[in-house]
Amino acid sequence: MADQETAAPGGHDHDHHPTGWRRWLFSTNHKDIGTMYIVLSMVGALVGGAMSFMIRLELMDPGIQFNLFGAGEEAAYFQFYNVLVTGHAFIMVFFVVMPAMMGGFGNWFVPLMIGAPDMAFPRMNNISFWLLASALVLLLVAAFTQGGPGTGWTVYPPLSSAEFHPGPAVDLGILSLHLAGASSVLGAINMITTIFNMRAPGMTIHRMPLFCWSILVTAFLLLMAMPVLAGGLTMLLTDRNFGTAFFEPSGGGDPVLWQHIFWFFGHPEVYIIILPGFGIVSQVVSTFSRKPIFGYLGMAYAMVFIGFVGFAVWAHHMYTTGLDADTRAYFVSASLVIAVPTGVKIFSWLATMWGGSISFRVPMMFACGFIFLFVMGGVTGVALANAGMDIAFHDTYFVVAHFHYVMAIAGVFAMFAGFYYWIGKMCGRQYPRVLARIHFWSFFIGVNVLFFPQHFSGMAGMPRRIPDYPDNYAGWNYVSSIGAFITTASTLLFFFIVWRTLSAGEKVPANPWGEGAKTLEWTVESPAPFHTFEELPDMTDKQAAE
Amino acid sequence: MAPMRTDNRKKNRLTAMVLFTVAGGMVGLAFAAVPLYKLFCQVTGFGGTPKIAAQPPAAAPSGRTITVRFDANANPALPWRFLPEKTQVTVRAGEPALAFYRATNLSDAPLTGTATFNVTPFKAGEYFSKIDCFCFTEQHLAAGEEVAMGVRFFVDPGIFTDPNTQDVTTITLSYTFFPAAGGDGKEGEKPQQAKASAPAPVPVAGRPVKG
Repeated sequence: MADQETAAPGGHDHDHHPTGWRRWLFSTNHKDIGTMYIVLSMVGALVGGAMSFMIRLELMDPGIQFNLFGAGEEAAYFQFYNVLVTGHAFIMVFFVVMPAMMGGFGNWFVPLMIGAPDMAFPRMNNISFWLLASALVLLLVAAFTQGGPGTGWTVYPPLSSAEFHPGPAVDLGILSLHLAGASSVLGAINMITTIFNMRAPGMTIHRMPLFCWSILVTAFLLLMAMPVLAGGLTMLLTDRNFGTAFFEPSGGGDPVLWQHIFWFFGHPEVYIIILPGFGIVSQVVSTFSRKPIFGYLGMAYAMVFIGFVGFAVWAHHMYTTGLDADTRAYFVSASLVIAVPTGVKIFSWLATMWGGSISFRVPMMFACGFIFLFVMGGVTGVALANAGMDIAFHDTYFVVAHFHYVMAIAGVFAMFAGFYYWIGKMCGRQYPRVLARIHFWSFFIGVNVLFFPQHFSGMAGMPRRIPDYPDNYAGWNYVSSIGAFITTASTLLFFFIVWRTLSAGEKVPANPWGEGAKTLEWTVESPAPFHTFEELPDMTDKQAAE
Repeated sequence: MAPMRTDNRKKNRLTAMVLFTVAGGMVGLAFAAVPLYKLFCQVTGFGGTPKIAAQPPAAAPSGRTITVRFDANANPALPWRFLPEKTQVTVRAGEPALAFYRATNLSDAPLTGTATFNVTPFKAGEYFSKIDCFCFTEQHLAAGEEVAMGVRFFVDPGIFTDPNTQDVTTITLSYTFFPAAGGDGKEGEKPQQAKASAPAPVPVAGRPVKG
């Protein structure tokens, strides 16, 4: 490796660090905190995944399948179903994808990739993690409190107001989101400060790996979107408990105002989920095509542009609230504009692969899966961005299929790509290759069988968030649930792979991927030592690191 | 190594301060959205918010007419019967008109109500002006009392020239009566809003909540 001489003297580092529970509870080390985030994300994935599996079990056949509360208690069961839908969304968004991408890979690899010894504020990093862990506990407590919050992740009043959710469940959910939001804002401030101030000499911002760019843009989105959610949630909390009337028509408020505030946060939020995935896929595609990424600056500024425009398209979630024709025309065009920078990214990934010396290792397989799924969801997204079509498709399974493809499943594929790409660096052992390939194919087939038929159910008019449906939706729902079985089995296989990797994986060298892997994390040994880059690597004469 | 770290520390603190300010500013903006949204609704008629006019229009009324229909709802928490006297009238655009609603307190206690209102289609809100309305203030009804309540309004003739609203031939004016916040407190069914600091009925579109 040409970059070998820049490696930190981590090997003969005095690797002294606190041990036992203190090492984790009081951790200020970016790698340990990153590991904790990844573990939290895995726990979240089990809970959130179990919830979605229960949803699919219920929807496998028409009628009510699993009324846990006995005959005559259908209302309680429907509320439980709504709690499952709500919990699945919140957990997957706030406690699986965000911790894995920002907290896990971001903490682990941003300092390594820019040649910094740690994050800018190590202790703030610690509190970010523990706030998030507390938020998860609070959310689970909410789910088991007096019927739980059955509001959907959008928490629209009046359903979420005291009249229809009188118990403390929604209040606990709101407090949980407050904690998660505070955690994200602190994490974002930490990331931005680290990336702005702590790059190694010569690592200019235009030489920074695209993963760091993606985390930088995501951090800015978090910084500006999360406080808006916090403000809206506070208003909802005081409406529920202290007699204010922000969203109460009887007091002069307007429930639609909540939708504006929520989606001003909610739309950037979906980019918060997918942008780090763009970064991971860029690294992986470049590494396994053995070429620098095609159009580096275009890729970086496409993400910046997506971030900006993401704040100006929120009302495309609200076409059915009675916006006038001009307002809809604006939001349609602004939403369609986002297809341009995302198209730039897709074509640049393809152009990177074009003529490259591609090796389809498991991370590359997941990156290609990501591109396929993201394009699928992007195409339905362009369709849904049109107000005229959306009024027909609003709140149908077509929308469910769309956002699971474009954001949820694509995001999970990016997470798996990142996991297989970096696990050797994180734990020093390589994943079992054959099992990982089986994991990819079973997961890829599983999610497509799961979500593709939902386009058909949606076009036939099947609504979201309803546990029962007429018989004419039965066929594709059955197929979809079969997909859920395959996906669940594949997810369990992934956890088996994690265990096999940690217990019996073969040892990996500093750079297991060959000449394609040019970023700084491959210059330190595997697993990365506790302290890295105490002497900053000099990047002055190096190429852009993409 | 050491001098560089202290240098970084200062720079990091400054960056973090700026970023915390941005986050704080965004919280502020979220709350600023509330009055801004109200203002926006009033100015643009967004969401079917009718305009408030002090005077009838000076210009001569247009020759064209438009039908105005009247809708009345009472929130279940307020035991009132609330009905329009006429279900619709046809008015000349630009000419003030007067319509009456009739409210009866069905309970055996005095009750105070306040009405939210809007017009549909929403896009007509910009051209529908109220000069005087019972919904501008709270209404007190003694036990069993029945009152007639008036609304004076006009439709701006501009509705016929705006390409967005040329197709409108009928405007529906809708009211929903709620127990007044901070009123008698007798209602009791909606304890959450009993303690609100009695906002004067704000001229903002509230969506009628039925049932």
